[in-house]
Amino acid sequence: MRGLRTILLLSLLLSACSGRQAVPDALPSCLEELEGHTVAVAGGSSTDLLLSQYEGIDLMRISIGDMPVAVKSGRAEFAMMQEIQYDANQLDAQGFRKCFNGILKGLSALAFRQDDVRICEDFNSFLREMRASGEYDRWYGNWIHQLDSMVVETEKMPAPRDGKKITVGITLVFPYIFIRNDSLSGMEIDLFNRFCRSKGYSPEYTIVQFPALIPSLNANKIDVILSHIMVTPERARQVLFSDEYLEGSQCCFGLNPEWESAARPGFWTRTRESFRQNLLEEDRWKLLAGGLAVTLELSLLSLLLAILLGALLCYLRMRPSAAVSGTTRVFVDMVRGIPVLVILMIMFYVIFASVQLSGVTVAVFSFGLFYGACFSEVFRTGMLSVDRGQWEAGAAMGLNRMQVFRLIAFPQALKRIVPVFKGDVVSLIKNTSIVGYVAVLDLTCAGDIIRTRTLDAFFPLILVSIIYILLSRLSGHLLDALDRKLNPSK
Amino acid sequence: MISVKHLSKVFKNGDKELTVLRDVNCEIGKGEVIGIIGPSGTGKSTFLRCLNRLEEPSGGRIEIDGIDILDRKADVNLLRRKMGMVFQNFNLFHHLTILDNITLCPRTLLGKSREEAEARAMELLQLVGLYDKAGSLPGELSGGQKQRAAIARCLAMDPEIILFDEPTSALDPTMVSEVLVVIRRLASQGMTMAIVSHEMQFVRSVSTRIFFMNEGVIYEEGTPEQIFEHPLRPATISFINRIRTLEFHLADKHFDLYGMFGEVGVFCNKYGLGNDMLTKVQHVMEEMLFEILPFGGPVTLTLDYSEKDFTLRLEFVQENCTQPVLEQLPDEFIPLRLVQGMCSSLRETEAGKILVEM
Repeated sequence: MRGLRTILLLSLLLSACSGRQAVPDALPSCLEELEGHTVAVAGGSSTDLLLSQYEGIDLMRISIGDMPVAVKSGRAEFAMMQEIQYDANQLDAQGFRKCFNGILKGLSALAFRQDDVRICEDFNSFLREMRASGEYDRWYGNWIHQLDSMVVETEKMPAPRDGKKITVGITLVFPYIFIRNDSLSGMEIDLFNRFCRSKGYSPEYTIVQFPALIPSLNANKIDVILSHIMVTPERARQVLFSDEYLEGSQCCFGLNPEWESAARPGFWTRTRESFRQNLLEEDRWKLLAGGLAVTLELSLLSLLLAILLGALLCYLRMRPSAAVSGTTRVFVDMVRGIPVLVILMIMFYVIFASVQLSGVTVAVFSFGLFYGACFSEVFRTGMLSVDRGQWEAGAAMGLNRMQVFRLIAFPQALKRIVPVFKGDVVSLIKNTSIVGYVAVLDLTCAGDIIRTRTLDAFFPLILVSIIYILLSRLSGHLLDALDRKLNPSK
Repeated sequence: MISVKHLSKVFKNGDKELTVLRDVNCEIGKGEVIGIIGPSGTGKSTFLRCLNRLEEPSGGRIEIDGIDILDRKADVNLLRRKMGMVFQNFNLFHHLTILDNITLCPRTLLGKSREEAEARAMELLQLVGLYDKAGSLPGELSGGQKQRAAIARCLAMDPEIILFDEPTSALDPTMVSEVLVVIRRLASQGMTMAIVSHEMQFVRSVSTRIFFMNEGVIYEEGTPEQIFEHPLRPATISFINRIRTLEFHLADKHFDLYGMFGEVGVFCNKYGLGNDMLTKVQHVMEEMLFEILPFGGPVTLTLDYSEKDFTLRLEFVQENCTQPVLEQLPDEFIPLRLVQGMCSSLRETEAGKILVEM
C-alpha cells in the first residue's frame, strides 16, 4: 500500500505548514502605505490595474476565494476584495480586519457583445421595472442587509423550454454566485433568473476563470458576463455594458493583530469538522462526485481518441513515402512541443472559437491531439522493436500484410508498448486537471469551488490529491494486469 | 516445376546501385534437391528470396507450373503457401508457443480447425524430434531446436517446395548435425528443396544437383560428382579446392622485398603453414625475382593455397615476355637448382609464366 503511505506523509507535511504567520505591527490606512508589502488581488480585475501603478507593491494575482487562505498562511500580507464579499463572508469573525475601504468605488453591470443590443435593452427595461416596483430594493436588502446570505432563497432557474437559450459566463464568488446543495445560488443568479423568467430567456451557466471572461464573450463561448464586473472605459471599448445593478467598492484587509484564536482543537476534531464542512454541508460532496465523473469521462474519451489518433499518426509516420512520413514527423514534433495547456487554449479560443462546442468536447480534442502525438511515438518504437524477420517469416508463410500485422507484429509490439504506455496514461489523467481554464467543472475545479466557499485550503486540496492518486494507482494496476497477461514470464 | 529466365536483381540505395543477380537461368523439377553454393555475396540468398518474392526481382521471368509469378495479377500469398522457407535466423514468432507457431498459418490460411491443425502439428513435432516442446516458447529452445521447429512450421503448410536459406549458419557447430539430419530425412522422402548452405559435405551428399553461383549468375551446374570432383571452370575449381590467394604487382626491380615478406608471413601464419614452409617460400621468391627472371617489365606474383589438399603454388608472370625464360638459362644454373631443390615441381607453362608447386 505505497499509495496510502504517500497520502499520510503528504497530510502530515501539509498540516505542519499551515501555522500562522507573524502579524504586522501597524495596519496600513491607505494605498501608499501598501508599498513594500505583498498584496493579493484578483488577476485582471480593476484593483489589479490600480495597484499595478504602485511600483513598490508586490502584487500576487490569485482568485478572490483564495485570498483569506493566502493572507492566513502569510503568502500575502494584505488582500483587496469587494467590501460586500468581505462582509458576506464574515471575515471579521475569522481573524481578519479591514485596513481601509472605499477604494475604486464603482458600478457593476452585465457585459454583452457589442452587437447584442436587443438582449441588453431587455435587461435594462427589466431593471427599470424592478426599480420602479420596489422589487429591486427588496432583492438588495435580502442579500446585503440580511447578512446571513445562506438562508435567502434564490429564484429557480427557468426551464429550457421556457425561452431563448442564453449562455452565461460566471465566476464563483460568495455571495454573488455560489453553489448550494449542488445548485447555483447567490444574489446575481437570483437577479438573472428573475430577468430570464420575465423576459423569456433560458440561461445556461458556465463557470469561467475571471481573466478569461471577456475573451470568452468575444469568442462567442458565452453570451453575457454575469460576474459583478465593474464598468470601466477600457472594458466599455470591448463589450456592451447594461445599466448598472450593483454599487461597490474595494476594501483592503489583513490579519487582525488583536485576534485571539480559540484553543486549537485536536487533529481528529479538526479533520472531522473539515469533513463535515467541506463535504456534507450543502451537499458539497455532490460537487466532487460530479467533478470526478467529468474527470473520468474526459480521461476515457481523451484516451480513446489519443489511441486512435496515435495509431493513425504511427501508420502515416511509417509509410515509405518521405513526404507523408516527414510531414507527420514535423506535425508530431510540433504538437509535442506545445504545452498541453496552451493547446487547450488555442483549441478553445482560436480553432473552435466560432463553433459552439462544449468545453468537454474541446478538451477531449486537445488531450486526444497531444497524447495522440505522444502515443504515436510510443507505438512506433513498439513496431520498430519487431524485427524484419518476423514480418518476412509471416509473409513467406503466405499471410498478407494485414494478417502479419494482426497476428504477429502487433501482439509483439504490444508487449513493448504497454509498460511505456502506463506513464503516459497516468500523465493524461492528471493533466485533465487543467480543463478549468475552458470552463469545465472537473475534479480539480470542484475542489477549487469548495475551497473558495469554505476558505479551507487544506482539506479540499488533500482530498482531491488523494482521489487523483487513487485514480493513477487504479489505471496503473489495470495496465499492469494487461502487461502480466501479455508477458507471463514477468 | 520452376523455370527461371534472365532473372536479375539490382539494389538501389540512393544514387548507388548494386547488382546482385545479373542473369540467372535454371529449371528445378519436382523431387529435386538443389544445393546452391558459392562465395559470400554472390546472390545465393537473394536468388532464393526472389523465388518467393520476398525480394522483388528487377527483371526476368519466374514461372511456377507454367504460371508467371512476376505478373501483377499473380496471387503472391497463394504462391507462398506452396513454398516454405527456412531462414538463417529461424524467425519463429516470439510471442507464440511452438505449437501455436506451427498451427497459426494452417488455421488462418487453410481453414483448418484447431484440433485438426494441432494433431498435424504434433505429428510434425514427432518427425523433427520436438514432441515434448510443443508448449515451450521459442526463447526457451536451443538454436538447433528452434531451426527444427521452424522446419516443422514450414511442413505444416504442406508446401510443394522448401527453400532453405543457410539453415545452419547461425548455429553453434554442435547443433548443426541435428538440423541436417532432419533435412536429409525430408530429402529421402522425396521433398523438393533448394538449399543455400556452406556445409559442403552435407550439400554434396544430400543434393541431386548443384548450382555454383558466382558474381550474380549460375556459373556452373551439375551433379554433386561433377561439381565437387571435376569442376570445369576456374572460379569453381578455386572455390571447391578452397583456394586462398595473395597477389603482388611489382613494377620493377626496386620493389619493397621486406614489406612483401612481411605480408607473406601473415598469409602463411593465417592458414597454419609452418616456419619451415615460410622460409622456403621466401627463398624461392628471392631467387626467382632477383636471379631467374630477367625483369623485362612488370611482374605479377600470385600465391595460391588450397585448404582442401594443403598445397601451395606460386605463380610468377613476367609481362612483355616473348621467349621462354627457363630455356635461356645456362645448364646447372645454381639459383635454378636451388629452387628446384625446395619445390616439388617447377615448370614454365607459357613464355614468362612460371609455376612453382611447393
